[in-house]
Amino acid sequence: MSNTDLSNIEVNQKPVAKRSNPFANVFNELVSFCRSRSMFMLHYCTGCGAIELPPAMTSRFDMERLGIQPMVTPRQADILLITGYVSIKTLKRVILTYEQMGAPKYVIGICSCTVNGGMYWQSYATAKKLDEYIPVDLYIAGCMPRPEAVIEGLQQLMAKIKTDEANSWKKYYEHYDYYLGNQQHLFGNNWQTPTDIIGEAKTYQLEGPNTLGEHTKILESVQRPLEPLEMKL
Amino acid sequence: MSAAHSQNLNVLLQEIEGIHLTHHNPRRLRADIAAEALPALLALLRGRASYVHLSAISCVDWIEENQFELVYHLWSYETSVLISAHIRIPREPGIYLSVFDIYTPAAFFERDIHEMFGVYFEGSPDMSKFILTEWNGPPPMRKDFNSEKWVMETFSWQEYHPDWLKDLEEQGGGIVSTPESIRMDNK
Repeated sequence: MSNTDLSNIEVNQKPVAKRSNPFANVFNELVSFCRSRSMFMLHYCTGCGAIELPPAMTSRFDMERLGIQPMVTPRQADILLITGYVSIKTLKRVILTYEQMGAPKYVIGICSCTVNGGMYWQSYATAKKLDEYIPVDLYIAGCMPRPEAVIEGLQQLMAKIKTDEANSWKKYYEHYDYYLGNQQHLFGNNWQTPTDIIGEAKTYQLEGPNTLGEHTKILESVQRPLEPLEMKL
Repeated sequence: MSAAHSQNLNVLLQEIEGIHLTHHNPRRLRADIAAEALPALLALLRGRASYVHLSAISCVDWIEENQFELVYHLWSYETSVLISAHIRIPREPGIYLSVFDIYTPAAFFERDIHEMFGVYFEGSPDMSKFILTEWNGPPPMRKDFNSEKWVMETFSWQEYHPDWLKDLEEQGGGIVSTPESIRMDNK
């Protein structure tokens, strides 16, 4: 496993021109504001934390007053909410789900288990640090966090989006080699996903010096082109 | 009815050689038998008594005695009696016969035990990977598999020491035993 610690790496931000005109960045600010006020949330309920989401969504705590709604498919969602322990088998599905989401996308890890395994810290089947495999914007620790904490966390995420700080999805493209290396460490060198992350990074012009590396070379050597699924009745 | 029935059952079970019966209570019967006699016992219980439900097969790893214990839990809906049939097989090579021909659901339990303990069941329809599809290590439920060591080698660790906990610790409270203090490398 590579030892690079990504927690302190800042994503390259485009320098914002400082102007005296207060309306200079008004369009960008409007976009960020709108983005933070209309979020669709895909909750990947891996563990027990999911039980705190219905009260957070429904009338008592009412997530929708913040503009957050549950969404049914990853392709239409903005937030990926991972609620609880992530077993190695689930982690594969989490990564597939994450890669299908359209950018900008945000990941929230709920419960202690996504931080460091929580009460499953000695389990052979549970991945310990979620942010080694996909970038995480925000952790809400607790076992399990109450709906108040979930709402508080979502409000923090909204504040981060408003000020353009929630850039972890760019980190995935810029440091793809690191994430892919950790994924290969668990799933073996034959691991590949249907999404072409390197191609997307090039398209979005988010390719950094760490996008390609030794692990992506392994991926290139084993990658097979996608085949259509066999249709059966 | 129950007393009479259990007497009939006892007579029936004496047909199996070397069987050792223990009555825990009227609705619970433990049968210790030799591994060779188990298929005959199960065929008898299913065919001539009312034990049509194999509710589970469990496995115990007795590493000091170098044996696996397999426990077949059989349930009768008519008498509401649970029979557990215990057998011991040598840990190496850990091969036993499948009872799929007598109880079809056994395929499910045998596949699970094969995955978790590495016991191979001859004649079981499917011995491929079941739940741990991403697992390439040794069978994880064996006593000689050190889960903590494997975790240490595979995953990295992230400290979680929030400010509110520091405040509590200043007042003399806090967590009594942290994961860090119980972890392998600190032993």
